[in-house]
Amino acid sequence: MGVLAVLPLFLIIGDVMFKGVSAIVKQLGSPWEFLAWLPPDPLADRWGVGRLLVGTLYSLWEFLTRLPPDPFADRWGIGPLLVGTLYMTALGAVVGFIVGFPIGVYIGEMRKEAFANVARASVNVLVEFPTITIGLFVYAVFVFVIEDLNRTLLSPLSEWLTSALGDGVGQFIGPLGGYNAYAGALALSIIMIPYVALVTASAYASIPDSIREAAYSISGREFKAMFIVLRKAVSRAVLTAALLGTAKIAGETAPLLFTALGNIYYAPFTQATAAIPLWIWYAAQTPYDVQIESAYGAAAVLLVIVLTLFAVAKLAAQKR
Amino acid sequence: MGKVVGETEVMVGSMTSSKSGVVIKNLEVAFGSLEVLRGVNLEISPNTITALMGPSGSGKSTILRVLNRLIEIYPDARVKGDVLLDGRSIFEMDVVELRKRVQMIFQIPNPIPNLSIFENVALGLKLNRLVNGRRELFQRVKQALEKAQLWDEVKDRLNAPAGKLSGGQQQRLCIARALAFNPEVLLADEPTANLDPENTAKIEALFLELKKEMTIVLVTHYPPQAARISDYVAFLYKGQIVETGPTKEVFTNPKHELTEKYVTGRLY
Repeated sequence: MGVLAVLPLFLIIGDVMFKGVSAIVKQLGSPWEFLAWLPPDPLADRWGVGRLLVGTLYSLWEFLTRLPPDPFADRWGIGPLLVGTLYMTALGAVVGFIVGFPIGVYIGEMRKEAFANVARASVNVLVEFPTITIGLFVYAVFVFVIEDLNRTLLSPLSEWLTSALGDGVGQFIGPLGGYNAYAGALALSIIMIPYVALVTASAYASIPDSIREAAYSISGREFKAMFIVLRKAVSRAVLTAALLGTAKIAGETAPLLFTALGNIYYAPFTQATAAIPLWIWYAAQTPYDVQIESAYGAAAVLLVIVLTLFAVAKLAAQKR
Repeated sequence: MGKVVGETEVMVGSMTSSKSGVVIKNLEVAFGSLEVLRGVNLEISPNTITALMGPSGSGKSTILRVLNRLIEIYPDARVKGDVLLDGRSIFEMDVVELRKRVQMIFQIPNPIPNLSIFENVALGLKLNRLVNGRRELFQRVKQALEKAQLWDEVKDRLNAPAGKLSGGQQQRLCIARALAFNPEVLLADEPTANLDPENTAKIEALFLELKKEMTIVLVTHYPPQAARISDYVAFLYKGQIVETGPTKEVFTNPKHELTEKYVTGRLY
């Protein structure tokens, strides 16, 4: 039976990594291509390895920054996809953690409050919620508020910031389009919140009463006991939860469909924004080999990101 | 607050011997439908060690948890009656003030996990803003560790995790953490129950020293300990005080049959 648990994991990783990595390697081409640009090296024998390394890194950088392919392209990369995914995931994770952590403390620690049980039940449902409905909800909310938000807050704010800080600010803050990275990040954060809250709540609930008593007798105010002293007892579990939650939202597709929409160019975050999962969804179903290959290449990068987060989480949990 | 004069620490105010007596009036406590205390009346004199003794489940530890209102962290606890500290009801005090004045040590040594030895003592002082600056903080922590007779054993490894200490050292660390507040009342909930005889003797000697500065309420389920170090004892049985009085009197001439059985080891 154990094999059945392990098999799908390795089949998926094997399939994606094999096809993805070979697609990427094809794009990287030979490092000598880049080296041909350099002046001939009189010490070629001595510095050969170094030059090879520089060449490889350069073509990797090219791959990570180029645009994804149109059906007839032959060189392509994952630039906008990577940027969009990193931006929305980071933003979603930060917001999700900032909101989810206190909710978890409330549920796990404020056992006197009758409402804590209601909150726990809601979070339990929300964590298993179909993520596409979360995307749909954020989409509906944005349709509803976006015009007012732009007129009353974002346009004046971005004008003021642009005059103060320069044009670059417009990439991040400005009148929002119907689809934008912030809607995507919001949808991702709503997925992250219950996850972080549940893990935090169970970590707090598992603190032995003897430690809890010590915390309350030395802390002064109640919130100091909960957020400073007891946090020290659960910090590792909560850090792990934050990393795993981040990995979880990095790969989410459904909530981004209505919110970030996807893109194949670098665009300001106030407009439709690309993301790796969205590109995989789109490109893998086209009839063009190069786009299908690029879907696998992007999937391999996504897996590397997610597996790295898993590995860091595992290390953080084990340390000391 | 401490002032550093040369290398000598001069304490102003906090070292003046406490005159904080505690009066417990008709205290009733229930956890859900379980009545733990049924009308306890007790007077605890300043600068004494008062031992609360009795079999398991008699409500000794619950009394302590009322005295610094730690009972309030238990969601299903209900408290009736009153407790006066220096003539003022503790339920009308700010709970932060109260817990600064009434500190507690516990049956299981409970240093805060993932914190160093130094931080465990320093944290309470920092959170309650009792010190100004790193230097005063260090002095206060050092003083507390010295009072708890732990300083010599840990002075070279203040940044080591508290979990690395032995059980007896951890318990003295917890005592230092409580003493750092210069409390008026020290509550001790079977502090030596998990310790070997050597560490038990150290802590008992420490209490005898500390009672010059503070009032100590000691819970024990081991009558010889009460006999050794307490000035007064109260014997509890099923949530009520059966007998109370000066230790010598209660042990040599118990008035109640249950008390006699208990102090002679025939009632658990």
